[in-house]
Amino acid sequence: MFELATVKLSLPEDPRYLDMSYAEQGPLPEEMRNLDQLSEKDRKLALEFYQSLASDFRYNEYLRGCLNCGVCTSSCPAAKFYDFGPREMIQYMMRGEYDKIYEFTNEKVWACVQCYTCSMRCPFNNEIAGLIMLLREYAVKFGLESAKQILAPYRRILLTVLTTGNQVTPDMIQPETFADWGPQALEESKNMDVYRKAIPVDLMQRTDIGWHASLQTAVELMTIMIEAGVIESLKNIDKDLYDMIIDIYEERKQFLEEIKEKYQKGELNEEELPDSWLDL
Amino acid sequence: MEKKVLVIGAGPAGLSATRELVNMDVDVILVEREACLGGTPKKLNYSLLFPELRPASEVIDPLIKVAKESPRVKKYVNSIIDSVKESEDGFEVSIKDKEQKVSTERVSAIIAASGFEHFDSRRKYEYGYGLIPNIYQISDIERMLSENKLVTTRGVPPKRVAILLCVGSRDATVGNTYCSRVCCAVSIKQAMEIKERVPDAIVHIYYMDIRTYGLMEDKLYWRSQLEHRVGYIRGRISEFMRGPNDTVIIKGEDTMNLNRALVVPYDMVILANGMELGLGSAQVAKVLGLRLEEHGFIKPLDPDRLPVVSQRKGVFLAGALTGPKTMSDSITEGQAAAMKAYEYVTKGIWEYEEIKVTAH
Ligand code: SF4
Ligand code: SF4
Ligand code: SF4
Repeated sequence: MFELATVKLSLPEDPRYLDMSYAEQGPLPEEMRNLDQLSEKDRKLALEFYQSLASDFRYNEYLRGCLNCGVCTSSCPAAKFYDFGPREMIQYMMRGEYDKIYEFTNEKVWACVQCYTCSMRCPFNNEIAGLIMLLREYAVKFGLESAKQILAPYRRILLTVLTTGNQVTPDMIQPETFADWGPQALEESKNMDVYRKAIPVDLMQRTDIGWHASLQTAVELMTIMIEAGVIESLKNIDKDLYDMIIDIYEERKQFLEEIKEKYQKGELNEEELPDSWLDL
Repeated sequence: MEKKVLVIGAGPAGLSATRELVNMDVDVILVEREACLGGTPKKLNYSLLFPELRPASEVIDPLIKVAKESPRVKKYVNSIIDSVKESEDGFEVSIKDKEQKVSTERVSAIIAASGFEHFDSRRKYEYGYGLIPNIYQISDIERMLSENKLVTTRGVPPKRVAILLCVGSRDATVGNTYCSRVCCAVSIKQAMEIKERVPDAIVHIYYMDIRTYGLMEDKLYWRSQLEHRVGYIRGRISEFMRGPNDTVIIKGEDTMNLNRALVVPYDMVILANGMELGLGSAQVAKVLGLRLEEHGFIKPLDPDRLPVVSQRKGVFLAGALTGPKTMSDSITEGQAAAMKAYEYVTKGIWEYEEIKVTAH
């Protein structure tokens, strides 16, 4: 027991300390649950993560306010299957709870399938799916361990997307692989070639590839990815993949330069052209 | 006195203004778009009024009676204002009826009281109103209650009812970011009426906030729980699906429990659709050359000091065309607008000069 007279009346700024007993006893057990559980090192990283996130202009554009209505979470297909909900994220953001945002980024943010239903329906017009994308972007930028782990199985897809601009090919749409589409997958797979032929773009009228990037297009595409910093951010989470993509890029660029040079000198034969049409 | 005042709209506000003007021996030209007097409460056949749960007709019928019987009131029903021209001592108004017949009246002042329209819930397409059976709006339920025909499509009284608040209000996706003020109270009142008629029914109200402001809190929000065991679930429903046997399945989040999704069937779902200016009042605003405020309602000269005075000299405003109102608010405004119009036609008082309206 302490003597009342000996209690020093110097109170910290934190409004919780207006209740003097708080300074004496510290947080109650039930409060502890809500306080962050991060280690000293993680807390520092979490704060840094939040600060750079919050200084991104998109963050303040996408995050507007929240009625706590739950329309986003109840519309969310991912929330149906995982302990995840966009309202939870928006609430942490509205309160600036950086430890929770950090935890959310590590554990939950990857559950979203980026369907944008939440953004479309939010009565406060929050760009919720955009905020999720932003969290992921910063997770990659910061090279968070969770981002490394979650993206590891997607190396092949990353490689095809970043080098050819294709993720899935139309002939991959089969009833077995797209069971969740129900009868529609069967319908689509049966008539896929007809559907594709109806697209008024030559390069897309095939089913073995979503669209065929010519050499020049592929080089342009990768240049854009590099200039936009997409490839650079890969460096933090998968150095090998980064090196591989850069190698491919350098090789293609060089090949393109050679062809261009020959063309300008008038030395180019038809046979030397790559299989795709080249827009010189 | 030979001065006349034109009142546009024969709802609670217009009728209340009419009655005051008649009491002060002013002649009234009353123009109503619909065939009958009484406005939206009559047209949609409102049942009981909140918070006292008295029949709507008890309030509106005496007002209608004055308008119908007073020799000072000249009525044009099924008619709209076609054009308004300024003349030397007031306005020259042409009134067009359904048969396109045009009549002209000369008046000294105008009271616009053309009211609101209920939000059309079909615009919230994910709710499936008009497509899925057994989804109604509070404006439909009023008629079902007063005609004593509260049944589902299967012809039986509903056993499980969900009421969803804030449909078409507080929602940027439909462009209405304001609160419609009355729908909480109306919904709770309907919940109590339903429980009174079908005592074993389960009634759940899905809400974000309950706005039974002022003296209505205990008479509605508390009483509905104390006496009727109406359930309140905090969360806004995101979509409805058609369930078996004409049930409606709701999808929502119980926001009191993190990430807890609700997928629950009901026999009947009621959407608490809000208020909008509506096409009728928009046409009136256009003809009178009145400006709208940011929510799409008509902008008074000074919303704090002169809420019933319009931007145009000689034109006054009453009721829900300046924003969502209860019936008693509208009646009060009708009385206030009548007073202002009387001052104007008898003494020429117009406060425009002394009011500096600050632009936002
Ligand atoms: S975009 Fe993501 S968070 Fe939003 S509804 Fe779709 S899966 Fe859920
Ligand atoms: S839908 Fe928008 S307003 Fe509603 S809980 Fe989600 S973020 Fe908040
Ligand atoms: S009165 Fe209630 S139901 Fe109506 S808009 Fe306001 S909060 Fe929503």
